[in-house]
Amino acid sequence: MRKATLVMVTALVATAASLMAAETTRWVERTKVDVRAGRGSYYEIVDTVLKGEQVEIVETEGGWVSVRTARAKTGWVFAAALSAKPVQPGGGSDFFKVAPGDASTSRTAASQGAKGLYAQDYAKAKGYDYTVVEWIEGHQPNGQVVEAFLKDTAEGSR
Amino acid sequence: MSRARWVLIGGVVAVLAVGCAGLDVSNVLQGGMKLVQSADTFRGATADIDEPEEVELGRAVTALIGSRYPLLRNEALTRYVALVGNAVALRSDRPDMRYYFGVLDTEDLNALAAPGGYIFITRGVLGLMRDEAMLAGVLGHEVGHISLHHHAKSIKAEKRKAALKTGTEVGMTFTRASVLTPAVGLTIDGLGELALKGFSREEEGESDGVGFKYAAAAGYDPAGLRDFLQTLKDRGGKEAAVSSFMSTHPGAEERLREQDALVAKNTTPGRRNAERFQRALARIQKR
Repeated sequence: MRKATLVMVTALVATAASLMAAETTRWVERTKVDVRAGRGSYYEIVDTVLKGEQVEIVETEGGWVSVRTARAKTGWVFAAALSAKPVQPGGGSDFFKVAPGDASTSRTAASQGAKGLYAQDYAKAKGYDYTVVEWIEGHQPNGQVVEAFLKDTAEGSR
Repeated sequence: MSRARWVLIGGVVAVLAVGCAGLDVSNVLQGGMKLVQSADTFRGATADIDEPEEVELGRAVTALIGSRYPLLRNEALTRYVALVGNAVALRSDRPDMRYYFGVLDTEDLNALAAPGGYIFITRGVLGLMRDEAMLAGVLGHEVGHISLHHHAKSIKAEKRKAALKTGTEVGMTFTRASVLTPAVGLTIDGLGELALKGFSREEEGESDGVGFKYAAAAGYDPAGLRDFLQTLKDRGGKEAAVSSFMSTHPGAEERLREQDALVAKNTTPGRRNAERFQRALARIQKR
């Protein structure tokens, strides 16, 4: 009798834990999503997750979700980038797909794209000045500066 | 395996069966493989463009735009334009997209959006504005092109057209290759022209609508875009740059009327921030 009760309690606890985990688990729905230090695309990137990767929800606020990644990094992503159901890895266009299905290779390929290697080659072939791209990317305000500006605007800067 | 591929493989098998009846099997096999490749081509031609690809195309288009107009490498002014742009973009339908803002050093009147979040405004346009609400309205319009995926829709249409026109070769290039290939190079050139000369009248109208909405949500007087269009209209004919802008952006009158209607319906007051705008603009004049 005592053994049967123990088994039942264990099963109930396991089911509850599984349900709770399901409620806080999400899967990345887009090819590549940057996890950022704050709720805005201008915050620094703390990690990058790829399609199909699993993340755990920490909190949600205003359409943004704070998540913990498989690499134990915590940051914000836009809610629309996540799915409540498991998502198959890969997919998307073939642009950066060096080895389909290989997340590490895809991550490398995506980061190569992030560094602008393809566009650099294009610019070189066409004789365009790629420093234009580098200058623009290097002269944007960071998260703290944008937040201060938004606060100033909200407080009625003239 | 998709149904289309199964159908095609079924077709290849059927052709092979004919081959067994006396035709050259290797030729038939090659024909079958071309059919399968064509399926890939058409599937690629209808696939959506993902964000890393869009950003990379945006970088290439930015380099192209930089070859047409010199970039104004003024850190303070660029930061100010980017701050207003980010305030509006945060309220857009793609707030998680990284947006980059730049000022082009020309008296020409233009504001343009490249794929992947790269947005430009000319010194000429800034010179016609009186306050931050106008800037927010124009940048909101450009953010609208990106958040409504107007570039991706154009690329998709072009890929589909290329796949239909030339079958496997160009279509495969679009779907599989790097931007170095001539066909994708053409896409970037086309996107550059699109950014420089404007989208379809319908897409410009859509961007006006969401630009109004984003500026209002960011706390600005959403009449800013209407006021800028009105300024252009008032100066039209008097200045060559304005006439040129109006000629490459057809439907300005209609856009103005639509903005008038939106402004009339709007009941939420917003900020103009004229002083902050003038302080930032003084940085151009001090150069």
